[in-house]
Amino acid sequence: MTLRLSIPWREARAPVLQGRCGGGGSKAVPAAVAGSSRRSGRTRPREEAGLKRANFGDGPGLPTLLLLPQLLILLFFFFIPSLRALMQSVLLSDPFGTNVQFVWFDNFKTLLASSDYRQSIAVTFWFTVAQNVLTLGSALVLAFATDRIVRGRSAYRTIILLPYAIAPAIAGILWAFLFNPAVGPLAQVLHGLGIAWDPNLNPTDALILVTLAASWKHICYDYIFLVVGLLAVPVSLMEAAAVDGAGPIRRFVSIALPMLGPTIFFLTVMNFIYGFFETFAIIDAVTKGGPAGATNILVYKVFVDGFVNLDLGSSAAQSVLLMSFALICTLLQFRYFDRKVNYGV
Amino acid sequence: MGRKVAFIAALFGALALVGPAQARVEVQWWHAMSGVLGDRLNELVEKFNKSQEKYTVVAVAKGNYDEVTNGVIAAYRAKRPPEMVQIAERGYMTMLLSGAIVPVQDLVEQKGYKIDFSDFIKPVASFWSYKGRMSAMPFNSSTPIFWYNKDHFQKAGFDKPADTWQELEKQLYTIKSKGISECGTVLPGDFYWSLLENYSAINNQPYGTLANGFDGLGSEFVYNKTKVVSQVARLKKWLDDGVMQIAGQGFSPEQLFTSGRCSTFVNSTASHGNIERNATINWSATFLPHESDINPPLNSTIGGGAIWVMKGHTSERYEAVAAFLDFVAQPETQVWWHGATGYVPATNRAYAVARERGYYKDHPTREIAVLQLSRGTPNENSRGFRFGNFVQTMLAQRQEVEAVFAGQKQPQQAMDDAVKRGNEILRQFEKLNAGKTPETERP
Repeated sequence: MTLRLSIPWREARAPVLQGRCGGGGSKAVPAAVAGSSRRSGRTRPREEAGLKRANFGDGPGLPTLLLLPQLLILLFFFFIPSLRALMQSVLLSDPFGTNVQFVWFDNFKTLLASSDYRQSIAVTFWFTVAQNVLTLGSALVLAFATDRIVRGRSAYRTIILLPYAIAPAIAGILWAFLFNPAVGPLAQVLHGLGIAWDPNLNPTDALILVTLAASWKHICYDYIFLVVGLLAVPVSLMEAAAVDGAGPIRRFVSIALPMLGPTIFFLTVMNFIYGFFETFAIIDAVTKGGPAGATNILVYKVFVDGFVNLDLGSSAAQSVLLMSFALICTLLQFRYFDRKVNYGV
Repeated sequence: MGRKVAFIAALFGALALVGPAQARVEVQWWHAMSGVLGDRLNELVEKFNKSQEKYTVVAVAKGNYDEVTNGVIAAYRAKRPPEMVQIAERGYMTMLLSGAIVPVQDLVEQKGYKIDFSDFIKPVASFWSYKGRMSAMPFNSSTPIFWYNKDHFQKAGFDKPADTWQELEKQLYTIKSKGISECGTVLPGDFYWSLLENYSAINNQPYGTLANGFDGLGSEFVYNKTKVVSQVARLKKWLDDGVMQIAGQGFSPEQLFTSGRCSTFVNSTASHGNIERNATINWSATFLPHESDINPPLNSTIGGGAIWVMKGHTSERYEAVAAFLDFVAQPETQVWWHGATGYVPATNRAYAVARERGYYKDHPTREIAVLQLSRGTPNENSRGFRFGNFVQTMLAQRQEVEAVFAGQKQPQQAMDDAVKRGNEILRQFEKLNAGKTPETERP
């Protein structure tokens, strides 16, 4: 602890990390920062306050103007659609909107009573948790290994970052093909090992496949943040630990990992949001939600019910519920995990 | 400098093109045809545009059927719908009761065209008409047929696939056990259409009450009490024994057949174009099999799409629409479309023309769909399916069948659940359209 405090340049880095972490919920972060600096008995408020006051001096004019574009985007792409979804969720209507009935909360009642929807919730839970663990775990290993690679480091980084440039639908088709039990080369390898791999028939295989595909697509995102986070871990500290006889794993677990706390926390939140909302294209390309609804995650069900089944009321009700889940999930994470994160790094 | 000149030239060129075109009335037709079929559709539109001076039809590919449907819904809500749109058969009730369409027969007659609607092939006419009047223009009508690999059957000592499921099963097991091919058949992507719905029609099994929905929106599914249950059990058995394979995502079932890996394939007659182009095997096709205790088998039912006319356009534009629909209904157009794509000709006259010209001598498999569709006298079980939210009930059913394939449910349990879920969905449609519904409706 004392060792860490004595390194001066880290102070300058810290706000950078905090700024990133605050991306998801800017209110919670300063509170936590205040808390942690109190705990570690450090004084930094001057620098914080200076940052905040430096820019906007006279009245609300300029800040409002600068916020306006973002507010407009939010208005048109978030608030108005959300309001429409809320309204639609209490209606029974034909797709063309020529016949509309107000049905109170029937859509919600039907949903919560359907086993299909409960299955979708369970699938979403397992999918997002597994995807999170896998993505973060692999990204951590890859990021930590970056430092240990001497030759071709930039090639190494580029290769890891490449999947980010591939459209999710294309990535999905690639994975579906590679693991296709009839023709996929990797499926043949699995069959050769005596594993009866068949994501078209076996729900577990299908869930594993979409989890792999979704994680693969997102590892690079986590990787970027973790590499930057690791850069903030002072070399001298690592060297000191090495001199004291700590091996690479020990150094990683006892020094790098705690110092990455805020980054990992932020990434966890982002991974959940990714799993909840952005994996739709991958599911569509890899399994179409099947077999037997085994990969029918909530966001995909919203799409199918709304755009294939044209059941707009139910689809709207689902998107309202999904948004609430995501919100609650994020709030819970901030409430319970945020305290454990040490922002004083 | 050179670039500037080129730009100005291009601008004038564009103006020159736009100029005379404005004299023509332009109407839009959104469709879902892609690949070979899309090319053929564009040729058809081109033929129409060249055939006269007054109207221009602009064909716009809007993706698959779901995407076209969503596109037209969004456009209608924004009060800018296209004049015509191609919608798949499953969307019939949604379109019919949407309040957003103009019935085709009304429009065409109002504009003074004399299309002989009574000449349309029976299953086609009865599917697309309501109370005896055509609601949409039948365009690409298909039906599933049975494709097979001639060489595989010959090697196994069979002339051709058997007529009944029982005999066919023996053949497929023989082919598999002799190691002639890896799998006897491949599960079609739209198996619910060919192997459950059409299966029910051909084998005279009721699918829903009230004449499969023709007699009202109060219809309920009943296929959990018919041979459909044993059909699902049969498919499951074939899968377990490796006689049937699933192509799955990332790969098309058709490729498993055309590459010679699987010996047979149940698929739409509309895949003629693709199979002729891609198959490296010695293929042929025949009728779908029927159950051995059902004789004679009934007709199969149609799938595919029709052209719907949207509400809210000027009289002038509807003239263009009527002219185009009249063109589509002409025997010449139908014969050409039939030959170019493999879809069935919509009218008896077109079929007769194709026969007279000896078309089926060179293309015997092209006739199977027509013969199968017009076989026997259609009854309540074979006339077709008229269920609201039919896509949604189908997806629920597909999910339950997949649960059987995955070994999670027994066929009876799964079909019971599918019927239960389906009926809830039907009740929702009935509730939404209360009062708008047909009383007894007989073609």
